[in-house]
Amino acid sequence: MSIEVKNITKTFGNFTALNDVSLRINQGELVALLGPSGSGKTTLLRIIAGLEVPDDGQGEISFHDENVVGQHVSQRKVGFVFQHYALFKNMTVFENVAFGLRVKPWRQRPARSAIRDRVEHLLKLVQLEGLAKRYPQQLSGGQRQRVALARALAVEPKVLLLDEPFGALDAKVRRELRRWLRHLHDDVGITSVFVTHDQEEALEVADRIAVLNKGKIEQVGTPENVYEHPANAFVLQFLGNVNLFHGRHAETAGSGAGGKTSYVRPHDVEIVAAGVDGAIAAEVEHVAFAGATVTVTLKRLDDGTIMEAELPRQQHLQLGLGRGQKVFVGVKEAHTFDTDYSI
Amino acid sequence: MSVPTAPVATRAAEVRGLPSHLQQPGSKVVRWLLTAIAVLFLSAFIIWPVFQVFRGAFSKGVDAYVRTFYAPPLDPEVLEKMPRRERVVANNEVRQAPKTRDAIAMTATVALIVVPLNTVFGLAAAWAISKFRFRGKTFLISLIDLPFSVSPVVAGLIFVLLMGRVGIFGDWATHIQWPWPWSAYWRGFEGHWWPIGFSNWYEGVIFTPLATALASTFVTFPFVARALLPLMESQGTESEQAAITLGANGKQTFRRVTLPAIKWGLLYGIILCTARAIGEFGAVSVVSGSTDANDTMPLRIEKIWQSYNTQQAFAVASLLASVSIVTLLLKVVIDRKQSEQAVVKKPGAGH
Repeated sequence: MSIEVKNITKTFGNFTALNDVSLRINQGELVALLGPSGSGKTTLLRIIAGLEVPDDGQGEISFHDENVVGQHVSQRKVGFVFQHYALFKNMTVFENVAFGLRVKPWRQRPARSAIRDRVEHLLKLVQLEGLAKRYPQQLSGGQRQRVALARALAVEPKVLLLDEPFGALDAKVRRELRRWLRHLHDDVGITSVFVTHDQEEALEVADRIAVLNKGKIEQVGTPENVYEHPANAFVLQFLGNVNLFHGRHAETAGSGAGGKTSYVRPHDVEIVAAGVDGAIAAEVEHVAFAGATVTVTLKRLDDGTIMEAELPRQQHLQLGLGRGQKVFVGVKEAHTFDTDYSI
Repeated sequence: MSVPTAPVATRAAEVRGLPSHLQQPGSKVVRWLLTAIAVLFLSAFIIWPVFQVFRGAFSKGVDAYVRTFYAPPLDPEVLEKMPRRERVVANNEVRQAPKTRDAIAMTATVALIVVPLNTVFGLAAAWAISKFRFRGKTFLISLIDLPFSVSPVVAGLIFVLLMGRVGIFGDWATHIQWPWPWSAYWRGFEGHWWPIGFSNWYEGVIFTPLATALASTFVTFPFVARALLPLMESQGTESEQAAITLGANGKQTFRRVTLPAIKWGLLYGIILCTARAIGEFGAVSVVSGSTDANDTMPLRIEKIWQSYNTQQAFAVASLLASVSIVTLLLKVVIDRKQSEQAVVKKPGAGH
């Protein structure tokens, strides 16, 4: 099932949540809607689901070339996983997962045994076999998330939509669960869209990423594509830390011309020997360890701007950098955009 | 004494409130003083009066208490032998007891009409306010609170002004005829298309039981809505949205998702609403027209009291007090159920 969103605009009072957004999601793809809060990503997801209605007379949403704008949520056959799971507290895990099957009109409703088999199969799929009789409040955050997923999958949706699926979990569970989601998606093969503000999550899990900002899609592409070839400064900045080199400094950094700003990722900053062409003199302000990489905060000696460099641990050990040390800095790669672009 | 070095004392202090090192000197005295004031105040203004109600009710013995509600006529021969004073009392009891019973029945009837009405209304209002965005929402919330801020007597007078002889609905409201539901009887199909007849019909609204029901409805309508609103607002709409995305229709969503989540709050509101409907005096007093047949229990108590029948007044009052005590107990049970739900709802708990 492919999803096609065309020219969707959505306003809440004076606030424009989505401004003429178009996006195509192919059959079986896992797409991330990535953006800061207020960028409209959740609104877009909810409009695809039918939980929000786009502004009158605007645009079109097609599931497999069938326009569904007029369709009610319950007819769209979407599986929706809410940020805070929205599990039914008065029901057990089993009843939660079975809910979508049990509320079907009786002609379409599967037999009791069929419902039981289906729920058991799904609980196995989300690795919660033993917990069918528990209540949601007796589960951990990660388990609740998986129940919510199983519940959404129970009705055999054509599309799976996830709103910040890992937002409320701690870092470790988050990492495990997103890998697991990727595997699940590869197994089930259902067209999926998830919303996130965590660029790492989007880069790791998604087939393609749509980067949103202020109700507009800034760029759509594979994780590699958006990271390596950002369409503009916003995408570049949003997808990781970045150092800014303005105007003439951009020239000294070896790329760009006046009126432009160069952006250099910390891992593209290197410590070089003195006298290398274009090297900038700087002083080490701070050294922070973060496991495999070391983040060095540097202060340029010529104009005092602060920049960050990320070095492999090994290199850091060789250089033996310390606070106050004078070094020379080179740039491996820089992206240059017009300065007047504001974020 | 909360000595920091004494572990037992420290623990005791921690259990009661602040850890010992944070307690101010003399805080123990303050605590006892405050507790004593609270207990004394409650005793003087609640426990002692309630006790007095029951004492007054039984001041002439259990027999007199029972005869307040049930007094079959005495044997004329027995009456003959009684001293005159006692005979007057006994005859009075025989005349008054049926009226008291009728007042109890009337109160129950009014509650039976008012509580379901306000339950449905309260649910609908709380549902609309907490789950939807619409124009005039704040206005609706303040309208719901209106009966709390208007004196019940004024509420009663509003109904008189609307439905009385010179009222806005004037002629219509004073001439409308309606049957007393409890007077229904089976009259068969012969000569009628409708087989049920009524032996008792009322004309007009004011000074009939209908006015009593209307006034009580007005006075008690915030209770259910007010009990549900904060609860439903805190629960948000995600569960309902989840149910809808899973293909449930509105009825299924309400019955399977919304209702189980609010059932204790709803019950709480219903109980408060019932208690108030039974105990309401001001509004009902205005619209009932002081007719004995329209009396509810509070009105009945007032009438008996005005005729210097202290013991009987207390006897009826003891029924109302019992209702309050039961209400209080139910409230405690429900509060506990609700907080139990809240405790297990805490995220991450019970892992």
